[in-house]
Amino acid sequence: MRSDPRLRLPIMLIVALLVQTTVLARMRVWGVMPDFMLLVAVAGGITAGPTRGAALGFASGMLIDLFLPTPLGLSALVFTLVGYGVGVANTGVLRSAWYISVLTAAAGSTAGVVLYAVVGSVLGERMIDGHLATIALVVGVSNAVLAPVAVRFVAWSLGSERRRRPLKAGAT
Amino acid sequence: MAVYRRSRRSRFFLVLLALTSVTVLTLDYRGGGDGALESVRRTARDAFAPVQSAADWVVSPVAGFFSNMGDFGDLRKENASLRRQLDEARAEAIRGADADRERQGLLQLQGLDYAGGLDSVPARVVSSAPTNFQLTITLDRGTDARLDVGMPVVTSAGLVGRITEVSKIRSTVLLITDRQSNVGVRLANSGEPGVARGDGSRNPLPVDLITTEVPVAVGEPVVTSGLERGLFPAQIPVGRVRSVTEPPGALQKDILVDPVVDLVRLEFVRVLLWKPTG
Repeated sequence: MRSDPRLRLPIMLIVALLVQTTVLARMRVWGVMPDFMLLVAVAGGITAGPTRGAALGFASGMLIDLFLPTPLGLSALVFTLVGYGVGVANTGVLRSAWYISVLTAAAGSTAGVVLYAVVGSVLGERMIDGHLATIALVVGVSNAVLAPVAVRFVAWSLGSERRRRPLKAGAT
Repeated sequence: MAVYRRSRRSRFFLVLLALTSVTVLTLDYRGGGDGALESVRRTARDAFAPVQSAADWVVSPVAGFFSNMGDFGDLRKENASLRRQLDEARAEAIRGADADRERQGLLQLQGLDYAGGLDSVPARVVSSAPTNFQLTITLDRGTDARLDVGMPVVTSAGLVGRITEVSKIRSTVLLITDRQSNVGVRLANSGEPGVARGDGSRNPLPVDLITTEVPVAVGEPVVTSGLERGLFPAQIPVGRVRSVTEPPGALQKDILVDPVVDLVRLEFVRVLLWKPTG
């Protein structure tokens, strides 16, 4: 695809939002759906490290916040931290085999859901109870399944057709 | 050295973004429903609505297939239970017709008003909110159709929830199964008032404040009471008692109520043009 690189990022975010609100919102297991916007933050951390991971998390979080009943900025804060955290955790990995990104997506997404509930509870939303374990589990597993697609999509939007990390690891 | 500098820069960037989020969060929290950020949010929703509807129209058959796949076993079970319920309903209709005539007479006598006499606006359910933590649905009508925050949402079967957010052409409905939802209810047989609260899942609603002396029957209808800060008009059907237990030493009964409305597969609803008084 030969699109303008500056347009790729907004396109990716809008498509991700559409997928989340139309397709994934209907695919619920035990009433829980995959969280693709959170996965965008995780994939940002995996493909492009902490800085861009945090930036992508902020952007995707703020975007989904516009469509949620929770206070604006809650997802933005959580996704920023998740994108950064995944980026830092992945820095030590030299060659990212496909299963590394799948496992990272599972761990990052589960952590993101729990963090979201904790920060939400601090703000007085009722979020922590028995159902939280179900949400964390389903989001962790389903996001892991979607991870290979998300990682490629995010890598494309950041203008690197090939994944960044193996390239850099080869250079040093 | 280069690595060190890069990591310091990224840490600075992280703090910057986190602080921005917290600032927005604080402003939105303080601003409440009328803040500038809330109008940004409303504008974004209205602007995105047509795109979303178009995408939804394209993907709905595919997505419907996937969502039905997981439900297949449930559907078979549901079919059997629906057949049983139909038989029960037929029997009840006969008894109900008689009771209804009686009640109409009483209502006329006392000049009581109830949901049947209220104006309402039909609306289509566009989507469920893209979140795992709140149980809400989005309707394709907003302030343009005279909808407002606080209005009750029903189907022909009974209560769905109430509107919590509204923009020009979209509104968000908090379902009665959400954790933040409390509905003042009345047990039909005894007339005893209680509170049905959501527990955040598809599970039946627990009803609080029914003391142990009150006789409660399984299958007993539960309707809105009009109490509990008057969030809903009285007499809207909410559900039927699924189970009653009495823990030893407790002051109230543990009652679970199955909602009459299938809140998972909603398609069309009616919004009652009624606003809470309190």
